[in-house]
Amino acid sequence: MEADDIIGSYYLSLWRIRAKAAALSPFSSENLEFNEEVEEEMPSELDTVNSSGGFSIIGQDKLSVKYPNNHLHGHDVGVVQANKAAPSKRLLFYFEITVKDAGVKGQVAIGFTAPGFKLRRQPGWESNSYGYHGDDGLLYRGQGKGEAFGPTYTTGDTVGCGINYADQQFFFTKNGEIVGSPVPKEVKGPLFPTVSVHSQNEEVTVNFGKDPFVFDLKDFEARIRADIQSKIGDISIPQNTSYGIVRSYLQHYGYEETLASLESATKSSIPPISLIHENSMNDEEEVYALNQRRTLRQLIRSGDIVNAFSKLQNWYPAIVQDEKSAICFLLQCQEFIELVRNGCLYKAVLYARNNFEKFNCPLKFEDLRKDCGALLAYVDPHSSSLGYLLQPQQRELVADAVNAMILATNPNKEDIKACLHSRLEQLLRQLSACFLEKRSLNADQGEAFHLWRILDSGKGGKCKRT
Amino acid sequence: MPFSFLEVAQVYAMASSKKVITRDEWEKRLDDVKIRKEDMDKLVMNFLVTEGYVEAAEKFRSETGTEPDIDLATITDRMAVKKAVQSGNVEDAIEKVNDLNPEILDTNPQLFFHLQQQRLIELIRNGKVEEALEFAQEELAPRGEENKHFLEELEKTVVLLAFEDATNCPVGELLDMSQRLKTASEVNAAILTSQSHEKDPKLPSLLKMLIWAQNKLDEKAAYPRINNLSTAALEDPLV
Repeated sequence: MEADDIIGSYYLSLWRIRAKAAALSPFSSENLEFNEEVEEEMPSELDTVNSSGGFSIIGQDKLSVKYPNNHLHGHDVGVVQANKAAPSKRLLFYFEITVKDAGVKGQVAIGFTAPGFKLRRQPGWESNSYGYHGDDGLLYRGQGKGEAFGPTYTTGDTVGCGINYADQQFFFTKNGEIVGSPVPKEVKGPLFPTVSVHSQNEEVTVNFGKDPFVFDLKDFEARIRADIQSKIGDISIPQNTSYGIVRSYLQHYGYEETLASLESATKSSIPPISLIHENSMNDEEEVYALNQRRTLRQLIRSGDIVNAFSKLQNWYPAIVQDEKSAICFLLQCQEFIELVRNGCLYKAVLYARNNFEKFNCPLKFEDLRKDCGALLAYVDPHSSSLGYLLQPQQRELVADAVNAMILATNPNKEDIKACLHSRLEQLLRQLSACFLEKRSLNADQGEAFHLWRILDSGKGGKCKRT
Repeated sequence: MPFSFLEVAQVYAMASSKKVITRDEWEKRLDDVKIRKEDMDKLVMNFLVTEGYVEAAEKFRSETGTEPDIDLATITDRMAVKKAVQSGNVEDAIEKVNDLNPEILDTNPQLFFHLQQQRLIELIRNGKVEEALEFAQEELAPRGEENKHFLEELEKTVVLLAFEDATNCPVGELLDMSQRLKTASEVNAAILTSQSHEKDPKLPSLLKMLIWAQNKLDEKAAYPRINNLSTAALEDPLV
């Protein structure tokens, strides 16, 4: 049966995701993805090993650089990269330099360079590098010729350079103010913060954030976020779209009481909510077997699997006809779990012996059957690594599977996938997929998108998940 | 010689250096995205609570086990205020807001002014000319002295008195239902804010974010879009 294949294996895969999450972090109902983020390494000092072929001297603190000699030609620039590339899985990266001494000619530069940059040339002179030069205020990007950009800078000035990963642009500052316009970042790979000196007695210090920046980075970041937010806020969506999506969600999962309550509330609301009934066809599809779906969900949620199973058998014999199907497996595992929950271990053993043997398809069921059976090994299964089976979410999963199977029996259904995913879920999947794709086209730079972050926002700054 | 959709799409993509993602590829990506049921339940609960569907929120809690992010009892009070404004009982609404939390109006002069303005509008609507005049001069005018914007609003509102038939009045729209709704939603938002709750539900902003993200991605790739939020149907990229 096609529906059981697609729907059954979908819910088995959801079970496996739960099992995997529980194995990695037992005692927590949180999803795996929340722990996925790894702190990236930050540049903290100048690279003393790999720097400038001896044309400059790096201070003891590894945060200052000086050009002691008279320079002879364009190939003896004192260039130093940071010890680490700029971290990229974030909105912004930024660092600053302060010119302690502009030396004879003030040929100081700040910018970014790719790994393997020729460390005797100014940033911006070679390909895959960008630099803002102090003596002429020009911007160099990948060639010897600069372009008009910002003011010159000299002794006493603090100059900064940053990357906006959302827009894939560089920005530069002088003494706390933005200079020039944003510069498109064409290089996708890692970039090292870079500073250079090139005339006698030039000396600069670098700040990777250990000291407060002269530029108000926090405010800058807040403005960027507010700007994105206001662009999103300006988008208009048809009135009552959200209402329609919520209603369809309630219909999809069979939350009949909520639905009735919502509908009676909107009848009396001012102004009355009128849905444009372009999708009245879909509506009929979604209220299909609503009451039966609700009844079964309530039974499963309360742990009364026996009753749910016999009702299902009565109403939709075809769904449970194949006793080796995924839906039967899910229901019988749940019955076993309920017996364990209630401490009826002897009954549970008998139940397993009578029922589990037939699910002998190794790839389809084996690991999950083992998880279930292993519950018997624990005096207190709740606090075992299999405790996830006793959580309400496991019942919910079985209830959702039964719900989807019933939806699939609707002769007017268009697509079996629509039985799996509510419209709300389809929209949220599209949203996540767009953000993922957008980020992957930017070489995975910028912030990752997390739905839960949005869901947790706006609670007075409290963040429950860590 | 007709070209297949894919061929046309690829030629188009080469010309504009856009990446083409076929429906099959895109559906695989969608399948890789796992949305947790609890998160969707939370979104729905947040919608019900913010929009003030208190009974539906209660039912939803019992049907799904989702906890509301606000005390449901406070919704009833908030909705009572909203309803009072919507049906023109502004005095009653002001009293209710003050019962809820007197700070709301104390710290929000603009909201207080708009409520008083609405009260004036209701007096005029009900033909209570003398009362309206008295109220405008004694209650609203002093506020207008403090704030130029308020004064303009007040002047605009009293123009209503000069016309017996509001349909001929240049500011007749003040008597519309939409003016009540505007004031009601302003009070609603202020109460939510005072309860450290966001004033808008999250679902509409996520939907807007979806449109924004699709538009952004359009710059770089051709892929199946969702153009109709109500049906959530995937549509092949236009070429």
